Amino acid sequence: MIRLTLAALRRAIVGVWDDIKASTDASLLGMARFIGLLYGPIDRSLSIDQAWRKALRYRLAPHVGWRHALGSITYLLFVVLVITGVLLAIFYRPSVQEAYPSIQHIVSETPFGWLVRDLHHWSANLIVIVLLMHMARVFFEAAYKPPRETNWLIGILLLFVVLLFGGTGYLLPWDQWSYWTLTEVMTAIARFPLVGRRFAEAIMGDVIPSGATLSRFFALHVIVLPWIAFALLGYHFTLVRRRGIAPPMNVERERRRQRRSGRYSPDEQAKEGVPFYPNHLLRSFMVAVVTIAIAITLAILFPRGLADPADPYAVPGELVSTWVPVDVSLALIRLAGTWGFTLFTLLGVSLILVPLLDRGPARRLRERPVVAVLGLTFFIGYVALWIAGRAIGSVTPSESLGTGVVAEQVVPSPPSLAVPDGNRAEPVPAPEAQRERGVR
Amino acid sequence: MSRRGLIAAIGGLVLLSPVAGSDAARLAAQEGTRSNQDASTYGCIVCHADMRRAFAQGAHAERGIRCHTCHGGDTSQVEVATAHRGRFLGAPSKQATTELCASCHSDPNQMRQYGLAADQLAEFRTSRHGELLLGRGNADAPTCTDCHEAHTIRPANDARSMVHPTNIPRTCGLCHDDAALMRKYGLSVDQLSRFMAGAHGKAIFEDRNFAAPTCIGCHGSHAALPPDVTEIDHVCGKCHVLLADALYAGPHGTPSLTRRIPGCLGCHTNHGTERLPPEQISELCVTCHAAESSMATLGQEIEEQVLHARGELELAAEAIARMVKTGRDVSDERFRYRAAYTAYQQLAKVQHSLDLEQLEDLGREVRSNAAVVRSTAEAYAEERWEHNLLLMPLWFLTLSGVAFAAFKLRELGRVSHG
Repeated sequence: MIRLTLAALRRAIVGVWDDIKASTDASLLGMARFIGLLYGPIDRSLSIDQAWRKALRYRLAPHVGWRHALGSITYLLFVVLVITGVLLAIFYRPSVQEAYPSIQHIVSETPFGWLVRDLHHWSANLIVIVLLMHMARVFFEAAYKPPRETNWLIGILLLFVVLLFGGTGYLLPWDQWSYWTLTEVMTAIARFPLVGRRFAEAIMGDVIPSGATLSRFFALHVIVLPWIAFALLGYHFTLVRRRGIAPPMNVERERRRQRRSGRYSPDEQAKEGVPFYPNHLLRSFMVAVVTIAIAITLAILFPRGLADPADPYAVPGELVSTWVPVDVSLALIRLAGTWGFTLFTLLGVSLILVPLLDRGPARRLRERPVVAVLGLTFFIGYVALWIAGRAIGSVTPSESLGTGVVAEQVVPSPPSLAVPDGNRAEPVPAPEAQRERGVR
Repeated sequence: MSRRGLIAAIGGLVLLSPVAGSDAARLAAQEGTRSNQDASTYGCIVCHADMRRAFAQGAHAERGIRCHTCHGGDTSQVEVATAHRGRFLGAPSKQATTELCASCHSDPNQMRQYGLAADQLAEFRTSRHGELLLGRGNADAPTCTDCHEAHTIRPANDARSMVHPTNIPRTCGLCHDDAALMRKYGLSVDQLSRFMAGAHGKAIFEDRNFAAPTCIGCHGSHAALPPDVTEIDHVCGKCHVLLADALYAGPHGTPSLTRRIPGCLGCHTNHGTERLPPEQISELCVTCHAAESSMATLGQEIEEQVLHARGELELAAEAIARMVKTGRDVSDERFRYRAAYTAYQQLAKVQHSLDLEQLEDLGREVRSNAAVVRSTAEAYAEERWEHNLLLMPLWFLTLSGVAFAAFKLRELGRVSHG
């Protein structure tokens, strides 16, 4: 019985595959390649299954190793985030009244809701780390040099997209930590001369984070940013393929490898190197499995807690950071002050710009001392600050928050009265003055 | 006309002329119409502009009362000599002030329209202040205007008024916090500071709870007198009805009613009115009862009950906080906690009757509700701990997968080399 069922199932699958083979050609694989599922060149003269096998057996240069997996891990985490994000979006309700209770529902009542949420949370943390490691690899190996400088820029855009994802997602739990951390950030933005206030209010749709902010952050987080990310990722993968993987650092000049068309040419097929299938696929599998296992382990062992529901009238005693960039900012502001924060941000920005200026053929670190020092300072500093931020864990909200630039406009301060501290509360008109008035 | 008078007259005309458009002139004109007087002939404000400003902010200005109603004189004149003529009183003395105010305020027919009582002077006469001022002519004692201001007399519900609940302690303190003045009458000056630090002061100034009494809540306002020691339980019981009932129902009740023990003051203090921490209950008992007596034991048992209940409440609150942190909905547990907390508050009442049985009942209610909260929290924590068990299959599968892949890779390497 079972055997019969299995055989029928197999027949059905083979039938579908045959249909696909018969009705399409190898060009369909371009789609798979665009979304990062395939790397090799596609021989469009073959049928789709033969072209698929040929592309899988594509040989990668011998120097391509484990460190090149960092990009794939980033993509894997992105996919994990998309899947867990879709699952969360099924239960999450983006409104001021329902956001917090819906998180409670996800965490304590939905089957494995806690796992999905914490996996989303931890993937969002890990993706920042892995993304920076991927960037560091590209940076130090000079893989950003021509002809790959466009891809560095796309990568930078992707970094911003990831940061925007985190920034918009940070508010969604709508608890005190997320609410007031965002208020801190927005207050800081609003202090920026001339345009700051207008910009902050444009982002929030209100003068404080409110229901309007929640709606638009949700829309950005689940609708706008994913499409931007997919488009950028597709182009990122396309450029990786078209410009090739950077040669090892000891190669001074690489062979010019740019083609006009995307058509397959036989001389692309390297005779040496390690085939993608099965060798690189097995490595990718190992890396992927371990990455997911680490993310799940972190999700199980260190769940992201929930503070009290957001309350615009009560500044909490402490703000607990739950995301890597927030950890880093928190450590920077605590240890180095606002100026330290500004300087480190400038260092990061200069790191983005360096590859646009550093276009010479030199690849070894020894020949690029300035770049090496800048890079080391930033990446080591980032990790150190992240660890410091995790150790600090929480920070008291700034004192100006309750009466801050943003908050003061609509949140009325509670009725304040000079609480008497001792015998005399306030200077009162002395009795003599009153008597005098009576006498005159 | 003297030179000064001329200048004053010109100044007055300038001030009053509508062409000048100044605020003062406009107000004066309005006032004039209201009191059926020609504005140009209302002379007091030529010299007493500041008084007029102060008066305009008070309640009397709205009721059509004008300078001459209290001070007399001829308001149509602008010169000192002619204006201060006729039935001119000037600034009345303290004693005369009481009569002056009473000329309206003791007339029920006039006061009825404002919903005011007309017995202030009668009450004042019975007070220590009235006795000193009117009986002995002692000018240290306050008259009406010392607490209500002379010109800017505001109603008590105006927060700027000297007799608004938040200002009363300060108003009384004007004299009663003056050590030199109080020494003459053998009074201490720590009442204000103790009141501010006590439960009533905190209720008013920190919680803005105007149901709490200020000085006048216990002493009365116009008939200000310290309540007699024997009257204390009735004064306190006026608000603390349930506590008074419990006190009278218990063994301390009859002695309090028959004035053999000082009632509330046996354990609490008058101006401080501090909440007594439960840890002090047994210590308080032995201030009157012998240390080894059955009464002292009862005190210890009561203290234990209260402390135990409080400890349970704290643990339940912590359990709820832990559950909130993990993202669980705790509305049921909060409801339970509230039930426990209500019972705990009833403990405070029942303590006064020294009824141990009732205390134990309430203590049980606190403990059972708190225990439900805690057991829920424990069950939930256990459930969450079980998540960790997932790690075993997770890493078993992961490591198997990695091992398989590594094995396969090694095999591939051997093939390509071999």
